Amino acid sequence: MVALGRTATFQAPLRFASFVHQFEQIVLRAIPIVALISLVVGAIITQQTILQLRQFGVTIFVVDLAAILMFREIGVLLAAIMVAGRSGSAITAEIGAMRIREEFDALQVMGVDPHQALMLPRVAALVVGMPLLAFVGSMSGLAGAAVVAKFYGDIPFDIFTDRLRGAMTVTSVVVGLIKAPFMGFLVGLLASIEGMKVAGSSESLGQRTTSSVVKSIFVVIVADGLFAIFFAAIGL
Amino acid sequence: MNALSPQTGPAISVDGLVVKIGTRTIINGLSFDLQRQEILGLIGPSGSGKSVTMRALVGLIPHDGGAVTVMGRDYAQLNRRQRVETQRNWGVLFQQGALFSSLTVKENIEFQMREHLHLSSKLRSDIAMIKLDLVGLPAAAANSYPAELSGGMIKRAALARALALDPQILFLDEPTAGLDPIGAGKFDELIVTLRDTLGLTVLMVTHDLDSLAMACDRIVALANGKLLKAGTLSEMLESDQPWLQEYFHGPRARNIGS
Repeated sequence: MVALGRTATFQAPLRFASFVHQFEQIVLRAIPIVALISLVVGAIITQQTILQLRQFGVTIFVVDLAAILMFREIGVLLAAIMVAGRSGSAITAEIGAMRIREEFDALQVMGVDPHQALMLPRVAALVVGMPLLAFVGSMSGLAGAAVVAKFYGDIPFDIFTDRLRGAMTVTSVVVGLIKAPFMGFLVGLLASIEGMKVAGSSESLGQRTTSSVVKSIFVVIVADGLFAIFFAAIGL
Repeated sequence: MNALSPQTGPAISVDGLVVKIGTRTIINGLSFDLQRQEILGLIGPSGSGKSVTMRALVGLIPHDGGAVTVMGRDYAQLNRRQRVETQRNWGVLFQQGALFSSLTVKENIEFQMREHLHLSSKLRSDIAMIKLDLVGLPAAAANSYPAELSGGMIKRAALARALALDPQILFLDEPTAGLDPIGAGKFDELIVTLRDTLGLTVLMVTHDLDSLAMACDRIVALANGKLLKAGTLSEMLESDQPWLQEYFHGPRARNIGS
């Protein structure tokens, strides 16, 4: 927190090279897996929805559902969970290993704040990158929905997009993207803190990595719930 | 002794140092001086607080009492900036080397220059190569990663990194642990040579009786977080304190003093 404040007030540099490296590792390399998972989940949800809606003869509403669900909730949530599992664990293990190998102490002894040097670039990369991942996730979820809607629900692409234009609002997109930086921040912070708690043994490293992933996923879901309550309260 | 005349008095003066970890008191009223340009060996049984003392002196563990005076300045009184300045006066060699594993040896040595000084990359690189040469590593090692080096080379590379900013005080945590006898002997020689040529002050935590005999001018023995005895090797050998007797006259100590 202090490190964050010092960088925000330009007393200490944001390590740009490190930020770029972390952005690539944490965000860019996560794009394929986030896209794939969202595509599959989007497809499954659509298939189940069509199955139910068909009984009432309103299969076309699957487009509304897919649009709202993907952009408001599923896209960002799946991205956050994937990042917590994929990058949160990596952050904890990296920082934890540096603790064990005394690299962490070496930084401190050299007059470099390890929080500032290690934690900040990672958290910053997550905060900046999470909206991107959430957007990619939402889009591929929607793509999955469109494919299943065509082949399983007999809704052609042009009708799908036509319906989409009416169903999807800027609000849904904004609501989803607003949540993303917060989730990135939470995952990055928790993962770094757990990494710094690693002490001595490789057993501790394993425990902390597990704990990092479990805590991040839990916190991300709870945060999503709180956001839902908040947005409902202000009427978005 | 004041901050403006840093050339007099001991390099580090520890007075009644108390360090607690959690509720356990690890160091309890320890006092000793580290004189300029001496090599001081810190010994003691496992758990006596040698490593904790060193980590407390370099500022990794907060002090819970007593005073540590570094180059005439009371360390506890310094603000953040002055602390960083003071830290630049010392280099630390950790037991496992603690080289940054994601950087090459040369980048490791350049790290502090990059952080604290504004030097051209050419100059930085030249200085790094000089340091590398100083600790007896071949220039070819510059671009290897720590994982590709042997234990002895890692220690040397870490020493080069510790010397990067031309420190006045060098802290060594078990410098010869894990080295073969020849490598350990050469490392001791290197420390003595560096002290003689660069005028370094060295504090080393060690278990190695040969290092104590070969390199150390004076020895400080700890027990239970307190000073057991401080003095030269011959004073240690003459002591009738039971642990020192056992330490210096045990089966592994037969070559010392002979």
